Amino acid sequence: MARPRRRDLLAYLVGAGVAGTLLIGPYGLRVAVIEVIPGAAAVQPPFFLLPILWGLWNLLWTRRQPAMSAGRWGALLGVLAGVVVNLLFVAEGGWFRAAMLLPLFLAVVYYLIWRVVIGPLNEALGVDGERTAV
Amino acid sequence: MRTLGLIRAATPPPVRDLWPRLRARLGDDERVHLRLPALGWREASAIAVALGTLAVVPDPLRFLVACGLL
Repeated sequence: MARPRRRDLLAYLVGAGVAGTLLIGPYGLRVAVIEVIPGAAAVQPPFFLLPILWGLWNLLWTRRQPAMSAGRWGALLGVLAGVVVNLLFVAEGGWFRAAMLLPLFLAVVYYLIWRVVIGPLNEALGVDGERTAV
Repeated sequence: MRTLGLIRAATPPPVRDLWPRLRARLGDDERVHLRLPALGWREASAIAVALGTLAVVPDPLRFLVACGLL
């Protein structure tokens, strides 16, 4: 049986753990928001996949060691996620104009979370090793 | 007898006091040192862009639902 490296496993768990904690927003408040704005239920991004996505993205960061800070790496994920969600809305027929701003908005939100939470956790747990922040 | 004495003299006595070693281990391995980054103009700009986006979109709650943040 393959044995994952401790560093890889920690990287995945840090990303998945932080994203899983953020899911308190969708799981806790979504029902209330949909009560207030019935139209909000029309769009259903697969937010429950966020922990897996963030875990794998942090694992990829550990493996590839890109020459960029955790914040920028998170912002890149935000852009990609925004584009994918737009395509999903188009495919489902639920696209709206403001969704064009999703890549920008998710990039800055993800930048902040990865810079302030995930980056320091990676450093404290030895996930990012000897990398220097750019 | 003389050989045994030489061996005893060459071996350092065992460390009886384990507390210094335990304290060193706890200090090095069991505690996580979180170093939060200093927030500068980049972070301030990111917060401003995020809040500005929410101010610009016609329906911020629907937008947040679409983001998966709500």
